[in-house]
Amino acid sequence: MPIFDQGYQHWKGPLSSHAWRWFAITRHGVRIGFQGRVFRMVLLVSLLPAVALATALCLWGLIERQSDLVAGLVPILVSFQFLGPGVATDPKMYRVEIWTLCFNLFFSIELTLSMILIVLVGPSLISQDLRFNAFPLYLSRPMRRIDYLGGKLGVIAAFLGLAIIVPCLLTYGLGLLFTFDLTILKDTYRLLFASVAYGLVIIFVSGMLILALSSLSRSSRWVALFWLGIWLVSGFASGALEGLQVAQRQRAHFQRVAEIQTKRPADETREERRRRVEAMRADQKSRVETMQMEQMEASKTDWRPLISYTANLSRIGRQLLGTDAAWQKLSEMQPPPMRERFLAQWLGPQYPWYWSAGVLVGLFGVSAGILSLSVRSLDRLR
Amino acid sequence: MLFQFESVTKTYGSIVALDNLSVSAPTGAIGLLGPNGSGKTTLIRSLLGLTRVDRGSGQVLGMDFRRRQLDIRRAVGFVPEDECLFPHVVGVEFVAYAGELVGMSTKDAMQRSHEVLDYVGLGEARYRKVESYSTGMKQRLKLASAIVHDPQLLIMDEPTNGMDPRGREDLLELARDLALNKGMSLLFSSHLLPDVESVCDQIIVLGRGKLLTEGNIQQLKQLHQRSFEVRLKTDSRPFCDRLSALGCRSETREDFLVVQIPDGRTQQLLWEVAAQEKVQIRTLRPQRSTLEEVFLKALEQA
Amino acid sequence: MTETSDSKPIVEFHGVSKWYGNVIGINKLTLRVPAGVTGLLGPNGAGKSTFLQLATGQLFASQGQVRVLGQSVWNNSTINRQIGLCPEQDAFYEWMTGWDFVYTSARLAGLNRPAAKDAAARTIEAVGMTRHQGRAVRGYSKGMRQRTKLAQALVHDPRVLFLDEPLTGTDPVARHDLMTIIQRLGSEGKSVVVSSHVLHEVQSLTPNIILLNHGRLVAEGNVRDIRDLIDKHPHQIVLISDEYRKLAGRILEWDDVEGVRILSREQGLMVETRQPDAFYSRLPALSLEDGLAIKEVYSDDDSLESVFKYLVNR
Repeated sequence: MPIFDQGYQHWKGPLSSHAWRWFAITRHGVRIGFQGRVFRMVLLVSLLPAVALATALCLWGLIERQSDLVAGLVPILVSFQFLGPGVATDPKMYRVEIWTLCFNLFFSIELTLSMILIVLVGPSLISQDLRFNAFPLYLSRPMRRIDYLGGKLGVIAAFLGLAIIVPCLLTYGLGLLFTFDLTILKDTYRLLFASVAYGLVIIFVSGMLILALSSLSRSSRWVALFWLGIWLVSGFASGALEGLQVAQRQRAHFQRVAEIQTKRPADETREERRRRVEAMRADQKSRVETMQMEQMEASKTDWRPLISYTANLSRIGRQLLGTDAAWQKLSEMQPPPMRERFLAQWLGPQYPWYWSAGVLVGLFGVSAGILSLSVRSLDRLR
Repeated sequence: MLFQFESVTKTYGSIVALDNLSVSAPTGAIGLLGPNGSGKTTLIRSLLGLTRVDRGSGQVLGMDFRRRQLDIRRAVGFVPEDECLFPHVVGVEFVAYAGELVGMSTKDAMQRSHEVLDYVGLGEARYRKVESYSTGMKQRLKLASAIVHDPQLLIMDEPTNGMDPRGREDLLELARDLALNKGMSLLFSSHLLPDVESVCDQIIVLGRGKLLTEGNIQQLKQLHQRSFEVRLKTDSRPFCDRLSALGCRSETREDFLVVQIPDGRTQQLLWEVAAQEKVQIRTLRPQRSTLEEVFLKALEQA
Repeated sequence: MTETSDSKPIVEFHGVSKWYGNVIGINKLTLRVPAGVTGLLGPNGAGKSTFLQLATGQLFASQGQVRVLGQSVWNNSTINRQIGLCPEQDAFYEWMTGWDFVYTSARLAGLNRPAAKDAAARTIEAVGMTRHQGRAVRGYSKGMRQRTKLAQALVHDPRVLFLDEPLTGTDPVARHDLMTIIQRLGSEGKSVVVSSHVLHEVQSLTPNIILLNHGRLVAEGNVRDIRDLIDKHPHQIVLISDEYRKLAGRILEWDDVEGVRILSREQGLMVETRQPDAFYSRLPALSLEDGLAIKEVYSDDDSLESVFKYLVNR
């Protein structure tokens, strides 16, 4: 029995090509990301909207089949004005719209949760490598800089994919199951692709942005703060500007109302006054509606929402999912006078979607530019 | 042939880092010496393909370093000078990740990581987070991550910087073992000449981007046939006087004498004088120039 | 050669201990550092930095007394005029030029403007930085930074110097220059304590050392004397000769020889003995006996590296 050499052993084995390198980096980053307890909790929480969506879709499936289980539920929903009376009679007509609106709600919640997920795991992606000077180790290995960046982007894609896209697919499948009607596939397949596309837009635009920010600083805390700034501060700023505009408009209107009120003739009979007051009230009501109409018109060219980062993302989402069309169809269920008010209440800002697309593409481009500049200057082997 | 440079020039703005440099290095353990700013770092970076040279061509392990950079890096391991870490992992994961980044599969990388950590002597410490390691342990970890893919050439840049004597000895022992016994070629860049001497048998000396001298260490340290380094137990004037009387030339340096004996005589002359004067000769060796002298002379001649 | 250790001590520690909470840095240390260059050695965590901080008055000893030039260093700003410290850390005001830095240090040490200008110019010349003194420290190489740090420690002409790893990162040229400067300072009668991990550098500078381990004093004094005191390891002396086997036979006849090993590749012997003195004194006669000419004799064992290894690696 020979004695085996305990010293250094040589090794001959297969080495994969550099195109696979991003996978190793992504796996490494995902493993490190999962070490954080807060992150794991937030990831779990971000799966809850999916559960809610699944419940809603299943309920809708049952309503469609007009099963007895939900027979008692429908009148309640109608009375709460969630669904118009037409829906109870012929649910299938409104299937696409209801699904669209459910997915829209899901995404609006998920958007916020993904911003939080990014704040927890994104800032440390490149800034920790900067702080601990891992670059000589990366660069002296057979891989290109693009593999490194691809791997880091993959970490964000993995987490957000887990939070957004995977639940999307699963709930779609669940919804299909509960409907027992294959025609639903024909109606709603477009919704599936749209949600996946929206998820990918969120992933890539936000992913590039957080990577670019992360590559600028050694301290993950500053990067996290910056990200929160972009998300929250831009949202607040946009909302504040819009609020200002609305307030201005309201003031103009009430000024006119006040004018009418003061223009009271010195002596009038009770009958005249009553008629005047009634006319004033009708006038006021129509003014409120006019104001809402004006608001709608104005929002078609309003640039203020473009400041808010998340508003841009949700505008693209609404475009992809076709939410506005869904609301239009639902509003037809309402009696005509209520229609406008219904739309004004539920439709989002009406400016063209390609403005938002432009902003997002611009952000993507800026991020790519920052990344290529900072990674080039990073290989400083002194 | 380990690597070969032909008329390589690289400038950074107005600073010439490599000036029409042509050098070829055989396989084995080679020391890379040179004052600060001599182009050592640039040479290493060009070998790894991290810097594009302005002019000239070269090969590393038979591969053109201008074109086949990825292939070169698969066969080369690099231990950088400055502190560098992949953060937030434990020792085994660190080395396994380093292996995966070269293209090893996960299983291969993990198995090899343990093997290599055994070799460098990081026992239980491999299950601790790398941020908690001492300097010596971090250097050994860097070495482990550089040899995990069994490279043909290992480049070490100032590996013993800041280490205490025990750590230094351990690291040099590992380097020597890899170079002499395990057939790995070594490019050892350091300012500490005794370290270079204990590990390498060839040196390349650079100065201001040019090649100043190269060759086998033992051949460069010339043997002086008639000069001897003599250390006595106590200083002895009569001993020196008697030597001069017999035609020897002696010169005091630091704590020993350099004695040149006349033609036709051997060391026995010194023993005779020692017996006569009743002094103890504690050291008697033929004089060899030290590596430091070789280096400084090469610099002066530049 | 540098001063012997029986000159008046310049730095004295009497039973000094220092702990940080539960962790002990220095444990009942008593020693005297004389004039001349002394090496301060020890593995990581031995207490070298604590020693330097206590000696320069940056830390207060938990127990015992620290005296420099006869005075206590704690809270004593006048003694700082006599002490120079070249710390290990690389912390400069990067925007300052080399001249600014040394001049400011001189002013901070208490020299008036003309004296400080003079001293700064002289010191910068001594460390060889006159050519670069107008440039900001930001652009200096590691060697230049070390020279500037040394200049800052010397500028007020202190009597006691503490140098913590003064030669790290310097290339052989700078190393050579700086070692010459340190040796010159030692021979001028100043007391220079050099703490370093690089043993062969300390060996070239001085044979006087202080060896610390685990916060305690292990050995103090001349390396050779310390070596003679280490009983556990017999001296290993190499003899090279043409007739080495015959030589071996003759040597084995001596009582004080404990072992002989044949080094056939070098054509010589490795002799182990606990009484080196007696052994060496017999060598001339042995060599002159017929056919036993000894071509080389040396002992690697006597070096600082071996002493360090024997005393620290238990």
